[in-house]
Amino acid sequence: MPDFDVLKQTPYWDAVTTGVVMERLAPDTQLAFFTDREVSVARPLVDLLLGQHDERLVPALELIDTRLARGETDGWHYDDLPEDADAWRQTLAWLDEDAQAAHQLPFARVGVDAQCALIQTVQDLSQDSKDWHTYPASQVWSLWTRYACTAFYSHPYAWSEIGFGGPAYPRGYLNLGVDRLEHWEERMPSSGGSA
Amino acid sequence: MSKLSYKSIKERNESAWLLPNDGTRTNHALRNDMRRYADGDEVDLVVVGSGAGGSVLTQRLARAGWKVVCLDAGPFWDPDTDWVSDERGAHVLYWTEPRLIGGSDPVPLGSNNSGRGVGGSMVHYAGYVPRLHPSDFATYTNNGVGADWPISYADLRHYYETIEEELPVAGQKWIWGDPHRYAHHPHPVSGNGEVFLRGASALGIRALVGPVAIPNGRFGNRPHCIYRGFCLQGCKVNAKASPLITHVPDALAHGAEIRANCHVSKVHVDARTNRAIGVTYLRDGMEHFQRAKAVAVAGYSIETPRLLMLSATDAHPNGLGNDHDQLGRYLMVQGAPQTAGRFDAEIRMYKAPPPEVTSEEFYEDDPSKPYRRGFAIQNVSPLPITWAEHVSAQGHWGKDLRERMSTYVHWATLGALCEFLPRAENRVTLAEEKDRHGLPVAHFSYSQGENDKLLLKAAQDAMEQILKAAGAAEVMTITRDAHLVGGARMAATAEQGVVDPEHRVFGVDRLYIADGSVLPTQGSANPALTIMALAARLADKMIEHGRFA
Repeated sequence: MPDFDVLKQTPYWDAVTTGVVMERLAPDTQLAFFTDREVSVARPLVDLLLGQHDERLVPALELIDTRLARGETDGWHYDDLPEDADAWRQTLAWLDEDAQAAHQLPFARVGVDAQCALIQTVQDLSQDSKDWHTYPASQVWSLWTRYACTAFYSHPYAWSEIGFGGPAYPRGYLNLGVDRLEHWEERMPSSGGSA
Repeated sequence: MSKLSYKSIKERNESAWLLPNDGTRTNHALRNDMRRYADGDEVDLVVVGSGAGGSVLTQRLARAGWKVVCLDAGPFWDPDTDWVSDERGAHVLYWTEPRLIGGSDPVPLGSNNSGRGVGGSMVHYAGYVPRLHPSDFATYTNNGVGADWPISYADLRHYYETIEEELPVAGQKWIWGDPHRYAHHPHPVSGNGEVFLRGASALGIRALVGPVAIPNGRFGNRPHCIYRGFCLQGCKVNAKASPLITHVPDALAHGAEIRANCHVSKVHVDARTNRAIGVTYLRDGMEHFQRAKAVAVAGYSIETPRLLMLSATDAHPNGLGNDHDQLGRYLMVQGAPQTAGRFDAEIRMYKAPPPEVTSEEFYEDDPSKPYRRGFAIQNVSPLPITWAEHVSAQGHWGKDLRERMSTYVHWATLGALCEFLPRAENRVTLAEEKDRHGLPVAHFSYSQGENDKLLLKAAQDAMEQILKAAGAAEVMTITRDAHLVGGARMAATAEQGVVDPEHRVFGVDRLYIADGSVLPTQGSANPALTIMALAARLADKMIEHGRFA
């Protein structure tokens, strides 16, 4: 893995942006939205969606909780789903129900493989344009992945992992063009994962 | 363009010279000293919304000596302190009041197409400012689809030219539609633009750099672009044009009041005279009434129909301009599939502004195709969060998602704008759900037609071919929508639309619509320039109307 660390660039960022970005390094860990029971489902769900169940890189659940507590939505919701906050609570409850039905255990206790299988079921239904419980599965999948990816890829650790240089203000970029790097950028591998 | 020729621009719009020249972005003195009207003052015009349409109209009429108050639901931005050079942090720029979406192809709103605050969604648009083509004004007559406008391209040409100078626009000599030149030389292209040009050239498809509303060089007190790539997050540099810096400063200098953080909840029509007489607005939880001799609504394609529906009276029980069930209908989005290609070399598509290269080779109707009308192709450059949407849309999640994301800097991306056709059933209605003011929110239903689906496929094919011709090792596509227009369309008669060719709402006196909702068709062009040009033309018409009133 390349050892690009975007946080080494913070001296070149403006103060307002730096404040907003750095806050994500230490979000409030006292959750305000999710109940304990919901956390037991939401934390493994979110960490598995982001592939960080074995090594947590980004406090994604905390960032999602802050957002839902503030009622900060994307400015729309599907007319066959309730508002985001209610949709989150309902889908977490259903995931727990699915675990109980299949394994007679809460979602948090069925183990990573079974958790992945339960999540995969929702994605499969989504790709077949079917309902999961009473919601269109594709809209549930969209809700989960939108919130999870927004939290994860807003974080400087994730930027370092993909070689992204972050705010770039007020410095900007000098070297435009294919394969033209700034002196502080680092080369990244061109393939990863399967197509 | 020489300094000398800026003189004529400065004489009609001094905005760029009214910005500070000391490294800050906001002329606070101009705002603090702004003329302020009392609610009880009967102003000549109240404008609802200070985006592309509302700001231009306000500036033009203030210059003509009108007493104008422009109300905006959002803040009066200061790019230095309110905006961040960060994808997630740009959330405040989007209209995120609740809205419901439905139909067979629901259209996400918010960051995708809806702005908040002074400057409107042009604060976070990419900066592409193509004109419509002359053919866009008569698609029904020429191609048997869409609608004919009651005005022609010739009616707008002069206004396209003047707005292009005021933004100003950089780009190569334009060869499509009505050929024309731009005042500023094209910007240098990044890896993303280079890939587009290379692939297009290999296939014999013409592609050009521009048209981009970022001056190439200083313009007034606006500094040169620094190519940081965050155009969609609000330009902290003051380089990319938005009404906040291109029209609002001049409006203030000529006595207009821009009243921010005021949410208009109702347009009032006098029952006896049938004239618009002012608006109710909410500020800090309190209701106010601003009197006016005329009202212009410029809240864009969702909020404009919603406001006119919320303003229903005994004489207009289904809303203003809705006596023939036309309000909210024919709302359009452009199909905007984005195709990305992975290269062995590093592209780093986020370096340089996202608007770079355009091809309008597929724009015009081609009788040999199975679909009518066409599409344009442009560079787009998704930042990490949006890029994760691209990757997760292919079905990737977990470790797989992370690994796929790790090649981010090796991808180049193209976006198409497909001319989806206007359909009566694609419309805004009022939902049962209420917003925090207790007002019913908008429901936006959208369903694609067969022609729309054929266009999406053709655009994806063309983009895949271009990227492969440029040497992409693999390609992937995500289907999205872009822009909003229509919902209160311009028509010759009240049975066919909501406003007449001079933007007057049918059935009510002295009520105008000055935003993108009046467009009867959309072409394959980003709508901002056309909305501004229409507003500039409307200002001239209103000055004429005023003379007769």
